[in-house]
Amino acid sequence: MTAALSSVPAADFVATKVEYAAVLPMFIVFGMALVGVLVEAFAPRRVRYPIQLVLTLGGLVAAFLVLVLYSRDHQAKTAGGAIVIDGPALFLQGTVLVLGAVGLLAMAERLDSAAPDTFTQSGSAVPGSPQEAAAVRMGATTTEVFPLVLFAISGMMMFPAAGDLLTMFVALEVLSLPLYILTGLARRRRLLSQEASLKYFLLGAFSSAFFLFGSALIYGFAGSVRFGEIAKAVPQVGGMDSIAVPGVLLIAVGLLFKIGAVPFHSWTPDVYQGAPTPVTGFMAACTKIAAFGALLRVLYVAFEGLRWNWQPVVAVVAALTMIVGAVLSVTQTDVKRLLAYSSITHAGFVLVGVLAMDRTGVSSTMFYLVAYGFSTIAAFALIALVRSSGSEATHLSQWAGLGKSSPVLAGAFSFLMLAFAGIPLTSGFTAKFAVFGAAIAHDGTWLAVIGVLASAVTAFVYVRVIVLMYFSEPSGDTAVLTPSVLTSTAVTIGVAATLLLGIVPSPLLDLAHDSSLFLP
Amino acid sequence: MIALLVIHALAATAAPFLVRLLGRRAFWLLALPPAGAAGWALTQTGAVRDGHGPTESLRWVPSLGMNLTFTLDTLAWLMTLIVGGIGALILIYCSSYFERDAPGMGRFAGCLTGFAGAMLGLVTTDDLLVLYLFWEATTVLSYLLIGHKTTSRDSRSAATQALVVTTAGGLAMLIGIVIIGQSAGTYRISEVLAAPPTGTAVTAAVVLLLAGAISKSALVPFHFWLPGAMAAPTPVSAYLHAAAMVKAGIYLIARFAPAYSGLTEWKVTLLTLGGLTMLIGAWRALRQVDLKLLLAYGTVSQLGFISLVVGAGGHGAALAGLGLLLSHALFKSTLFLSVGAIDCRTGTRDLRRLNGLGRRMPWIAGAALLAGLSMAGLPLLMGFFAKEAAFGAFLLGPEYDAGPTGSAGADTLMLAVMVVGSILTFAYTARFLWGAFATAPRRELTEVFDAGPWLTAVPVLLGAGGLVVGLTATWIEPLLAPYADQWVAGDHPVHLGGWHGFNLALLLSVLTWACGAALFAARAPFESAQGRLPRTYSAEQVYRLAMRSLDRASVEVTGAVQRGSLPLSLALILIVFIVVPGSQLLWGGVTWPDQVRWWDNPAQPAVGLVVVAAAVAATRARRRLRAVFLLGVTGYGASMLFLLHGAPDLALTQILVETVSLVVFVLVLRRLSGKFPDDPPRAVRRWRALLGLGVGTVTAAMALTASAVRSTPPSASDLARSAVEFGGGSNIVNVILVDVRAWDTMGELSVVLVAATGVASLVFIGGDVHARGRQLIRASWERRGSYTDVGGAEGSGSRWLAEGGRLAPERRSTIFEVVTRLVFHTIVLWSLYLLFSGHNHPGGGFAAGLMCGLALAVRYLAGSRDELLAAAPVMPGLLMGAGLFLSAGVGLGAMLAGGGPLQSWIFDLHLPLLGHVHLVTSVFFDLGVYLVVIGLMLDILRSLGSRVDTQIEQQDAESVQVAGTHTESGEPAANSSPVREGPMGT
Repeated sequence: MTAALSSVPAADFVATKVEYAAVLPMFIVFGMALVGVLVEAFAPRRVRYPIQLVLTLGGLVAAFLVLVLYSRDHQAKTAGGAIVIDGPALFLQGTVLVLGAVGLLAMAERLDSAAPDTFTQSGSAVPGSPQEAAAVRMGATTTEVFPLVLFAISGMMMFPAAGDLLTMFVALEVLSLPLYILTGLARRRRLLSQEASLKYFLLGAFSSAFFLFGSALIYGFAGSVRFGEIAKAVPQVGGMDSIAVPGVLLIAVGLLFKIGAVPFHSWTPDVYQGAPTPVTGFMAACTKIAAFGALLRVLYVAFEGLRWNWQPVVAVVAALTMIVGAVLSVTQTDVKRLLAYSSITHAGFVLVGVLAMDRTGVSSTMFYLVAYGFSTIAAFALIALVRSSGSEATHLSQWAGLGKSSPVLAGAFSFLMLAFAGIPLTSGFTAKFAVFGAAIAHDGTWLAVIGVLASAVTAFVYVRVIVLMYFSEPSGDTAVLTPSVLTSTAVTIGVAATLLLGIVPSPLLDLAHDSSLFLP
Repeated sequence: MIALLVIHALAATAAPFLVRLLGRRAFWLLALPPAGAAGWALTQTGAVRDGHGPTESLRWVPSLGMNLTFTLDTLAWLMTLIVGGIGALILIYCSSYFERDAPGMGRFAGCLTGFAGAMLGLVTTDDLLVLYLFWEATTVLSYLLIGHKTTSRDSRSAATQALVVTTAGGLAMLIGIVIIGQSAGTYRISEVLAAPPTGTAVTAAVVLLLAGAISKSALVPFHFWLPGAMAAPTPVSAYLHAAAMVKAGIYLIARFAPAYSGLTEWKVTLLTLGGLTMLIGAWRALRQVDLKLLLAYGTVSQLGFISLVVGAGGHGAALAGLGLLLSHALFKSTLFLSVGAIDCRTGTRDLRRLNGLGRRMPWIAGAALLAGLSMAGLPLLMGFFAKEAAFGAFLLGPEYDAGPTGSAGADTLMLAVMVVGSILTFAYTARFLWGAFATAPRRELTEVFDAGPWLTAVPVLLGAGGLVVGLTATWIEPLLAPYADQWVAGDHPVHLGGWHGFNLALLLSVLTWACGAALFAARAPFESAQGRLPRTYSAEQVYRLAMRSLDRASVEVTGAVQRGSLPLSLALILIVFIVVPGSQLLWGGVTWPDQVRWWDNPAQPAVGLVVVAAAVAATRARRRLRAVFLLGVTGYGASMLFLLHGAPDLALTQILVETVSLVVFVLVLRRLSGKFPDDPPRAVRRWRALLGLGVGTVTAAMALTASAVRSTPPSASDLARSAVEFGGGSNIVNVILVDVRAWDTMGELSVVLVAATGVASLVFIGGDVHARGRQLIRASWERRGSYTDVGGAEGSGSRWLAEGGRLAPERRSTIFEVVTRLVFHTIVLWSLYLLFSGHNHPGGGFAAGLMCGLALAVRYLAGSRDELLAAAPVMPGLLMGAGLFLSAGVGLGAMLAGGGPLQSWIFDLHLPLLGHVHLVTSVFFDLGVYLVVIGLMLDILRSLGSRVDTQIEQQDAESVQVAGTHTESGEPAANSSPVREGPMGT
């Protein structure tokens, strides 16, 4: 028996250098998520909640501190160009971390009981089945939401920092999958929640497929998936518009879906309504931030040279988004759906900023995202507190007269509504002004006019809610729960930020402006 | 000025506490900031007259060009006096107006003080954006003030109306501001006015700005919100709707008139709307019986008058405009406060019920009389002089061709409007005074209660103020002149106050009084004539109609596209896919291939046709099973195409995947109803088929053009060579999977593992399923050992399957059992062959795993779950774990051997029986893949097959029980649920 061993020549392999200082915040969040999984597996049920809470919050805070104190000075294109940590990436990552932490506070609310408040205790059981009852009896804690949120956040951090289409796709999936699950975990009205989750998943899968298809076309066009290479190829490669333009548009579809822009918005109301309320807030704020970050990078870095092809399409999408969001919000009778349509309209406003195509576009978009994020998380956290016979009272008629029965909640909510409407001295005004100003300075006056008309319509909607709270007699058994320190903190931070960004927006505006340059 | 604003803000914040502490006396303290503002403005009078009023600036949001700049020029000075002075008086008035412990007084006091501050900021700021900010602040605060302690439906809609109209106007203004600011490069008002930008965009911006002003000042067509807002407490009406807020629009017009009053759009808008408003408001005022509403319509009319004059531009008109502004603020607040006093002390405002108040409330009557005379434009009062000046300014047109509008005809027309408006004003003023204070002989006198002293003192002070200002008008003129001097004073200057001789203007005034008096005298026939006029569409109805249609549109659109229907959402996305890239393909200058080779082999189009037909039929299917099978046909067709194209490995994999999904579908479909539940009508299904066709066409076209524009050689072209060189195998796909991209494969393996575990844990949730599974497996092993014994019991060992005997006889199919017995081992063996030959020939771990899994599926289908246990008596987790371990182990092993992770080695061995064996180490990796895939298949069969069987059986048992009890109770044994078939439906 003779053995002839012929060694196979290995291809030259060059290990990519990773600038760990730049990506450390992402690593921290991802690592904490993994630790969280281990905690789920090994920690006794009793102590899981405190451990997870401390671990998750600690991880987010630590990541934020590292980002601000350390990574900021190590901006780099790293991991072979797959990750780009530059100004916009850092800004958006920091935002996602802060808003994620605030959103998490609201999600962790337990109202002094040992069981989760807004999450079901048995996500996989059929609603009303013996299994569900058993889970409740055993005191299931649903603390898996903590690692899920961390996974989602790590995806959201990676999304705007992706340096190529594939990394971006991976980030898209990493951030989406946990959200699909979180959506289906509502404790009350579980079938609605599960349906929402399924819809979100199916439509999300479709949009991911579009994104991939587009990426494939772009790879065929540019010979690379790296944004920098694509940008270089755009002026050089001629005669291939027929795959480049559909490629860009398909990628844009994938991203616009996550943003919730019309006509890819149809999931938004259902999902926002079905998901556990604090999760909705988290999703509305953070997913938008991440997706807009990715959109900015794709459009500004990779496809800037093709803007004459895609800009009209995106402009039409922006206009449609504002109009449809505003008009549809008029008839809503459910607070969560109302805010869902409001979020669609806001996405349209942000798109108007994106279309400015220069630094003011980036900075105004980022500022808007921060402003909207704080307001929306606080708003959903407040909605979660309004209850009627044990379940959340989301129907508008149940909110009648809240101004009298719980002035603090009604006051805070009204204030947030005014911020959504863009009334001065709230962050909403500064943000709207920033994006519209950027648009008007760059031939986007018609968009700004549509935006203002849409704002007027939505203002009408928000005013109606305020009127309902203050000008009607309370009806039914609507009661407002007294939140624990967690929700209170989240709401306070959200409202305070909304006010502060309206009164002293300068520091954040300057920061957004300073971090508005993409690394090519 | 900034300090004053801060004081206002602090006072507003402290107001609730102060009210709690001091009760209604707190209003006295709160009156101090506005009073201070007015006093401070007075001390600056000289400086302002000389044109160097104070300016303060604070950088706020430099990046947006937003700065807290405040400056006091003549216009701002006048407005500050009005806002501060009247504000202070009204706050004092409040101290008597409210009950001692009225609810919500703290909030009210805070809002009112804050409002005074916002107005002060609005009129003094020199920054457009800050102006907008205060503008919206007044909107919101006014809303809170209007909505003070009201829960009636009317006041709710009134408050909403006011807020919606003014917010919408404000937003329009914002766009105008931004455009002006961007064109001018600055948001400083003084700089913009010094060098006003021009152009189409700026003209549009100015019109938008006017839209804001018009909505705020309640000009036609937005005039309806002001009477609606009269639900507010009277001090609020007096302040917001007479002196301050509605003046904000006029202030804005006055502010920009020097720069833009020459624009045609400006002139046409303001003159038309101002004139219309003046007439409509006065006309309506004549019909009101509620004193407050009468005043509200009167205010609308006056606002129209003032905006007409201020907006016309020109030296004389500007002077007259400021005069009107001042006089109106004084007399209208007096009148409102008088009405407030009457309301407080008699409990009614209906002039049909009031009687004899002139004698019972002499001071109030006196104040109201002074104010009324001013409003009617009678001499010695400011109202008279201002109106004279306005007439004089417009008379310049017909007399000297130097009028404000620039055309003598337009000037005359405006003059006519003003005269008619003034006649009506005279008439409704008389009606007001008469109705409120006169004593009608045949009615009982109105009862009058006592109230606080300030309820009387404040109106008297304000009324007297009107007289004083009128008497000193000649001295006031130079103070206002700097504003008017922004226009060139002509040869025939207009003056405020004093005696100008018997001129045309005076004649017009006399005409006004005469006609007005006549109109008042003939009020009864006039009112009935008014009543007989056909009702026209009012602006309010238009507003309501607009709001309703918005609602309607919203409902319709929601119903059409937002039903929460998943197919609809998908269809929308797909339509976008067809439209956007599709239109690019049609009109985007796409390169199409020069020549298209339709097929290599006539079998290809045939298969293609079958696939298309199956796809179309699938969209028309009503039953789930049919749809699944048709879908399967398209998949098998695709694999045929692969095969015909010369890719047997791909074809093999595709066929296997297709088969497995078909099996899984069938397993799951047992639990679903046979038909699609929504059962769409034929039209919808046709439409869907069309949509599918469209998507397919676009995709195909894209593929076609993508292949046409290829400019570089395919990267796969030298794969065939390097696959052998580096990977030691000639099945390229397999080499990619297990060598080139082995890392990816490993990642995917773990994903598969997680997914399978996830599916299984969802299905097997609850109870100690895991332990029971192990137990079953152990039992199966034991039975295996004592095989013959069990067989003997059934007799003669004639079973074809290991566990076949345990199945109910009606479910058994002998032929199927025989076939299974014959092919099972062959298939498994074949799968092993595929595994080991995969590196060079079609096959590979994935395909082999699927093949083996299908063998298990056959066993399961033939003999149900016990048979599956017998065929594979292991937990799927074990298989999958082992597979992953093996794959990872290969990688690790390579590292231990000194290579890179997952590096392959090739051994060429001569084995005794098999002969030459070409062994590449990556086959062990492939073995891992094989095991994982088998594990996955086993998991699917166990969870979607066996487990669902169990559930069905349990339910059957339950329903039998239920049916049994039903029968006992005399009811017919209902049909059990529609789909309860065993595997394959026997």
